[in-house]
Amino acid sequence: MSFLEIFQYTRQDSVIHNLDPRAKLVLSIALATVSLLFSAIIPHIIVFLFIFPLIVASKSVRRWTKSMRGLSVLLIFILVFNTLLSSAEYPFSYSLALTFRLVNLMTSFSLFFLTVHPDQLSQALIQMRVRFEFAFAVSMAMRYVPTLGNEAYAIMDAQRARGVELDKGNLLTRIRNIVPIIVPLIIVSIRRALSVAESMESRAFGACENRTYLEKLAFRRRDWAVVILSLFILTLVLYVNLIVGLPDWMLIGLPF
Amino acid sequence: MIMLENIHFTYEGIYTALRGVSLQIDSSELVAIMGSNGAGKTTLIKHINGLLRPQKGRVFLDDRNTSHMSVAEIAREVGLVFQNPDHQLFLDTVEKEVLFGLKKLGFSEDEANEKAQATLEKLGIIDLVERSPFSLSGGERKRVALASVLASQPRILALDEPTIGQDALQKRYLAELLMEMNSEGKTVIVVTHDIEFVIEHFPRTIAMADGRIIADGPTGSVLSNQEVLNICSLTSPQMTQAAQALGKLYSDISPRLTQLDELEYAIMQILGSGIQ
Amino acid sequence: MALISFDNFSFKYIGADSLALRKINISIDEGEYVVITGPSGCGKTTLCRAINGLVPQFHRGYIAGHVYVDSMDTRENEVATLSTIAGMVFQQPENQLVTLNVEKEIAFGPENLGVPPEEIRIRVEELIDLFDLTHLRDKHPHEMSGGEQQRVAMASTLAMKPRILVADEPTSNLDPKSAESILKILSSLNKQGMTIVLVEHRLDLVAQDASRIILMNQGSIVADGTPKEVLIMGLCDEIGVGVPKATQIYKRLHLHGIDLLDVPLSGEELAQMVKEVSRR
Repeated sequence: MSFLEIFQYTRQDSVIHNLDPRAKLVLSIALATVSLLFSAIIPHIIVFLFIFPLIVASKSVRRWTKSMRGLSVLLIFILVFNTLLSSAEYPFSYSLALTFRLVNLMTSFSLFFLTVHPDQLSQALIQMRVRFEFAFAVSMAMRYVPTLGNEAYAIMDAQRARGVELDKGNLLTRIRNIVPIIVPLIIVSIRRALSVAESMESRAFGACENRTYLEKLAFRRRDWAVVILSLFILTLVLYVNLIVGLPDWMLIGLPF
Repeated sequence: MIMLENIHFTYEGIYTALRGVSLQIDSSELVAIMGSNGAGKTTLIKHINGLLRPQKGRVFLDDRNTSHMSVAEIAREVGLVFQNPDHQLFLDTVEKEVLFGLKKLGFSEDEANEKAQATLEKLGIIDLVERSPFSLSGGERKRVALASVLASQPRILALDEPTIGQDALQKRYLAELLMEMNSEGKTVIVVTHDIEFVIEHFPRTIAMADGRIIADGPTGSVLSNQEVLNICSLTSPQMTQAAQALGKLYSDISPRLTQLDELEYAIMQILGSGIQ
Repeated sequence: MALISFDNFSFKYIGADSLALRKINISIDEGEYVVITGPSGCGKTTLCRAINGLVPQFHRGYIAGHVYVDSMDTRENEVATLSTIAGMVFQQPENQLVTLNVEKEIAFGPENLGVPPEEIRIRVEELIDLFDLTHLRDKHPHEMSGGEQQRVAMASTLAMKPRILVADEPTSNLDPKSAESILKILSSLNKQGMTIVLVEHRLDLVAQDASRIILMNQGSIVADGTPKEVLIMGLCDEIGVGVPKATQIYKRLHLHGIDLLDVPLSGEELAQMVKEVSRR
């Protein structure tokens, strides 16, 4: 599961972290789209050389390498499989390009998730006119994930102490053994939800249409710069790719 | 007989919960384990029934090393009741809930039914047999969870924080039940913060702090030790406070008195004979 | 007029077999510190929820009579409106923290009400200071102990600037030292004028600070008076109330014909009184 590392937020003080999450959203989507547009090796290398410095700027190189290491098995698998099954003229070259594309795609999105705190995400959604209740539900879900995890472990302990053997038996037995874990988990979660609702209601949740916010996100000049630059690059790439066509030297691949 | 020999345990290689814990609990003992949050009390209990296995050290149940036994096997002899009954209840009737554990531990249908009946009657919840556990009150659910563990009549009974949220009558009832279990020969171990409950009913207390046992002995002396109380984030029991206050005024009142009867008697002595 | 007043109030939850509250008639004045106690299921939790309107607005059921909080009928005013007068703290600290850090949690209530951000900021800073939460500012609820979580929950409730604080067994799930610190906070809030309604089993911890104890059993109020008046009643032993042991000794001495001059609520008081009597 270590490949998920690049999607985990950490508190850092970096140039990228300090950008508005909405600007980063635009940046990530632009970069991801750019990645998807190419199927040759060299363009992907160029794209990577552009994206990677941004990872460095967000002080997350170590996480990135850890993730890539975790992903390496999958990458090799894709490479081999595509080479064997591809009908392209130079299968290995094509597969290599696809593998690079996957790396670029994941790295693009990771830029967003590495540097955006769940609260900022929820605030960004709210300011983009998503209803408060939905945005808040997202951040509340994240808040309760560790709690739910602990609850599941506690339930497993309680049932094991009664003689339920969770790690024995064939597939059918193991599936049946999920019931004594899932049912209490659901019940406990429902009870918890009611309790949480009482607390929120007692603090006027949903009271007024014009809810205020302690910290609002505000676009600064650098955020506008990032957005404009991202859109510019995206447009440029679209133009070159679809209308003008890529120069020959970019389409050189490996002869196998 | 339970024996823990120099147990060391670390969660996921990061958090050390037990640093060299050794203890011995004999049959039919009544022991309370106390300590502040994070002292390792619950971790300790989970080693007794095999839910956790030590990285160093050994756990013995009657001279058998538990490392060769599965949790299910140990469950036949050690019943562990957790704090939240909702972590256990999942079947549609109380009866099924109590029978579940019995069947898992290998009792025959007849034996299981017999034991279930007996336990439900003993705990006063026989009228609830057909009810769904989810529709019961908090106190009733606690009793159902307790019944399902007691039904198999384990020789050792361990309870994790059984008095939380209970009113005085419920605590009294629980205490009576535990004393009854004990008089039938069962070993009863309780992990708790409730110092009044311990001082009234448990002759032996083990105090823990920071993964170690810092005191182990008669409740009266362990819990009148101010340093132990401070380290374990406990407040002095009510009668100890009274005894200490009286002890300052009257030299023959020992500050180690812990029971209501003792204090009452002592005060009557003072007022009866008019000692100043 | 009293700040809180129950006028022949009865309530039955939907699907319940019996009434949770039966013809409750009490009034609580501003500045009181009322402790409500009684065996499990006696209706104390329902009574609390009737003060801030959760009963009957959130918990639907059959209702008779009225509850007036600051002259507002709880049947006709929303919980949100009542929340600025009566704040509520619950038993489970974990279920009261819904955001990812302390600042946001304290801001949650005022944000819901549409309070201007500058004012919210002032309240947040004041409360972080008051409740000693500075070192917890950026922590996730998961990274806090039960006692710390409960302090944050109280701070978040006080951010609504209520005049009444209703606390339903706030210390049940806490270790003794945390429980003590929460109760100390309640006591000091009361000294500054906050009306406190507290449900608590451990009367030895609150009897000296409370101005009044209300005893409930099976949905009705069976005793209502100062702690010294209520705790010596025989009723307490019958229904199973956690009478402080010092007070129990007073009662036993009384049975032996020995009368201490006043009712002790703690070991210290008991010692003092024994000394007084022995002088005579």
